[in-house]
Amino acid sequence: MFPLDYHALLPEIILAVTVLVTLVVDLTTRKKYLVALTAMVGLFAAFVPVLTLAFCDSLEFCAAAGVDRVLFGGSYVVDGYALVFKGLFIFAAFIALLLSIGYLEADRYYEGEYYFLLIASALGAVVMASSRDFVSMIVALELVSGPAFLLAGWRKGDPRSNEAALKFFITGIIALSLLLFGVSLLYGLTGTIQFDQIAVASMAVADLPLFTLAVIFVLLGFGFKVSAVPFHFWTPDTYEGAPKPVTAWIAVGSKAAGFVGLLTVAYLAFPGVTEVWGPVMWVLALLSMTVGNIVAIKQTNVIRLLGYSSIAQAGFMLAPFGAAAASGADSLSQVFAATVTYLVIFVVMNLGAFAVVIIIGSRVGSYEFEDWAGLNRYAPGLAIMLAVFFMSLAGIPPLAGWFAKFAVFQATIGVGNWWGYSIAIAAALNAVIAFVYYAKVLKPAFFDPVPKGVDVEALEAAEIPAPIGFALALTAFGVIVLGVFPGVAANLGQYTAQVVAALGG
Amino acid sequence: MPTLMETVTMADWFRETANWVFLLIAFPTVFGAWRTVSSDNIVRAVLYLVVALGGTAAMFLMLGAAFIGWTVVLVYIGAVVILFLMGIMITRAPLGAEAKLSHGREVKVPAALLSGILFAVIAGSVVDAFGASIIRPFEPTLTTDLANVLFGRFIIPFEVVSFVLLAALIGGIVLARQDDVGGLE
Repeated sequence: MFPLDYHALLPEIILAVTVLVTLVVDLTTRKKYLVALTAMVGLFAAFVPVLTLAFCDSLEFCAAAGVDRVLFGGSYVVDGYALVFKGLFIFAAFIALLLSIGYLEADRYYEGEYYFLLIASALGAVVMASSRDFVSMIVALELVSGPAFLLAGWRKGDPRSNEAALKFFITGIIALSLLLFGVSLLYGLTGTIQFDQIAVASMAVADLPLFTLAVIFVLLGFGFKVSAVPFHFWTPDTYEGAPKPVTAWIAVGSKAAGFVGLLTVAYLAFPGVTEVWGPVMWVLALLSMTVGNIVAIKQTNVIRLLGYSSIAQAGFMLAPFGAAAASGADSLSQVFAATVTYLVIFVVMNLGAFAVVIIIGSRVGSYEFEDWAGLNRYAPGLAIMLAVFFMSLAGIPPLAGWFAKFAVFQATIGVGNWWGYSIAIAAALNAVIAFVYYAKVLKPAFFDPVPKGVDVEALEAAEIPAPIGFALALTAFGVIVLGVFPGVAANLGQYTAQVVAALGG
Repeated sequence: MPTLMETVTMADWFRETANWVFLLIAFPTVFGAWRTVSSDNIVRAVLYLVVALGGTAAMFLMLGAAFIGWTVVLVYIGAVVILFLMGIMITRAPLGAEAKLSHGREVKVPAALLSGILFAVIAGSVVDAFGASIIRPFEPTLTTDLANVLFGRFIIPFEVVSFVLLAALIGGIVLARQDDVGGLE
């Protein structure tokens, strides 16, 4: 019925095989780093077909097929948008894996199964990027979250880890049931679950209150996943209690997957009814930015601070959605591109921030940033890295974060109505507030004396484990390159936005 | 869609035998669901859940979705409820009446209020959207058709679900396994 396009599905197939091979390797060897190595080779191998698919037009063997490939009658699409995110997810999983290697060895918890679950979660994210109907998307979203729930509770002996997993699990299930309920209403109204068909069918039922309700349920379901306020309460506790590399994956991979869901559903399934979802997203964006930032100021723990900061960052990414409320089809692709650009930069800089925080935290033995006083006396390199990533998160040029914020301002103002202007003003105010707490972490590290009783020589002599050091170098390189050449991220954003522009016509 | 816009009176509604069957199923289902959450005894709550799930299965059968109806019976009533009961017995949970299962008035009242409002909003908009449509008796879905769709168009979600289950299985074993705290081997 549907002949399979194996080239288009190759990244998924390679990852699926990798998931199974990690299990076999884990069974046959006691050297658990081999499992991690297998997983890394698999991720690397899966990245190759992403590239060949993206540059299909200029490659001899597949030029005929082109970049845009529609599979299964339109419910699974491999296009530029999907490929950018597949690449991004594979990159994020690769970094998360690098962060995990040293961490798990020190912690003495199960390792092989851990890598297996991490790759399974990454597979879900990769499938998610191509899903264009609700069944594929929700099932893929569960493959992202399911292993993440389990990984959050990996430190079985630590009650905080148990709490992290339980909170994450329960809120995740509530989100899923909201989402499914909304989808069932939508199916009843439109008679289809495929996004391109919903986009057409929804025009006829757009005036019904039930349609508004269904759309709100669906978006709120994703709101939990991206930890937008008021669905954020699980975030800080889960971030703090989960093993730190898992936190990095949840904060970046799982959140980006949630955003892919939001982007796909909002812009591809409901492009004609922006007046229904725009205002909802506007409120979510405003609340997420403001509440996330204000609560972040009071934090003393770096991980919790990153938790609230990521809530605020989610607000920035939601802002273009809010600006879409009253915008025409032509500016829709611009606001879409802004969110994608922000997301690409956010993934790189937030992973880097987690990498440096994990290194410093495990060396100092504390994640309270008051304990990091005098960091630049004994580890100047790490202190500079900390500054690089936190300044990038705050949005200071020439680090990548500034361009992410710039793209959001440009798109929201470019819409040219008060939905856009108001959210841009709110974003500007929040960017200033955000600077306060990012600077608060850096102040003790650079300007305070080393606390008494700290063995400075031991701290000086400690070495950065190679895998996590490599992750740090990769992300630092990314943050600087994306900051100095912001065109890279912007082009990715515009490239993905073609999928929306094609719709608007 | 098997819906048709027509004006219909209450008397017409009661003249249709299918509606009586619907009521016969719906009332016990709602009652079972209500007792599942309000019962103070956890074993009773599970048994009321059987009633609620049984009603759901009957609804699916009424709609001609035989495969899904029997899946609910076999998987949910058959396997999941048994798992619940096994879980309760294995984990030394109290089997008698347990006051702690219910919250105090300060939680109950706002919760009831909130669910009441939510119900009113959902019910109101559903009636608004579908109130005037009549579901005619229609052809039952063949299980063969379902299989063709499942292993054709929906092959990717089908494969992904199997990975979700594999991950849940292995992760569940690791988390539930009893070993020295923090210990490997």
